[in-house]
Amino acid sequence: MTNPNDMERYPICKSNELVEDTMRKVTIDTVDILVGRRNGKLFACNNSCPHKGASLSKGHFNEDSIVCHMHGYEYNLFTGKLEKMRSWKKEDTWVEQDPEWRKSGDLILYSISEENGTVYVSLK
Amino acid sequence: MTKGEVPNIVALEVLKKNGVNVEKLKELITKGVGAEFTTYYYYTILRMHCTGLEGEGIKEIVEDARIEDRNHFEAMVPRLYELGGSLPRDIRKFADQAGCPDAYLPDNWEDINSILKVLLEAEQCAIRSWGEVCDMTTGKDPRTYDIAQRIMQEEVEHEAWFIELLSKRPSGHFRRKFAGQSPHTGSQGGLIHL
Repeated sequence: MTNPNDMERYPICKSNELVEDTMRKVTIDTVDILVGRRNGKLFACNNSCPHKGASLSKGHFNEDSIVCHMHGYEYNLFTGKLEKMRSWKKEDTWVEQDPEWRKSGDLILYSISEENGTVYVSLK
Repeated sequence: MTKGEVPNIVALEVLKKNGVNVEKLKELITKGVGAEFTTYYYYTILRMHCTGLEGEGIKEIVEDARIEDRNHFEAMVPRLYELGGSLPRDIRKFADQAGCPDAYLPDNWEDINSILKVLLEAEQCAIRSWGEVCDMTTGKDPRTYDIAQRIMQEEVEHEAWFIELLSKRPSGHFRRKFAGQSPHTGSQGGLIHL
């Protein structure tokens, strides 16, 4: 069995299978990774939303970010930074959530590359 | 066997061989039961504020959802411990890590629709939350999947009820046999001690 912690590159798909504005979830050992191509660039990140652990593969793109389907948080796919922390206040009369509940880390990014028509991901 | 020595747990070994990320699963379950428990608490407040002629007709439906959400907590927590997980020692941490927002009473609670919107939002988040657990365990961890899908069935019903109350879209709702019956996770399912 391969070790997800070493520097080995994992071939995940053919280059032409990862077309512009698409993403897919791949699993290396038991680690779910979101890979895709956006604005001409490849990205790879952990599929787990840093906020509450939802699958980012169920989200959608917004410019260079992925929008989580669970609470609408947006993370930049290339820097990993939290770009938008959506408010709970869907109406003016709603009470905002506690800051401890709202806070989030950044995305875990992985190295992704293309070589001879194959896309590779390194977990470290 | 000395105290504290844990033998090989075949039930976990099988999950790992099936490709389940057990640590991630425990995290999602802890967040899911956190949301159920906090929702139970906040629904108590919301139900209390279902007042007046309109509110009287709705409070029993809120009560069903309130008790059933507590039942979801009861149904899934034993599985969390079976998997080797545990509830946070501090209830504040438990609430902060919950997978869904707190269903706070809105400022304009006298408008019953405002309460219904908060209830609906909470149920929709719970559907997404347990959907994650179902997706992660289907075909790999039948025990967790079975509990999660039972919870999902009731959350989907709750969503339909609140949508019906807000929009008049028929939901198929008819009253439970008793408050918080939990037809899927309740005594018929044998998962909780009603």
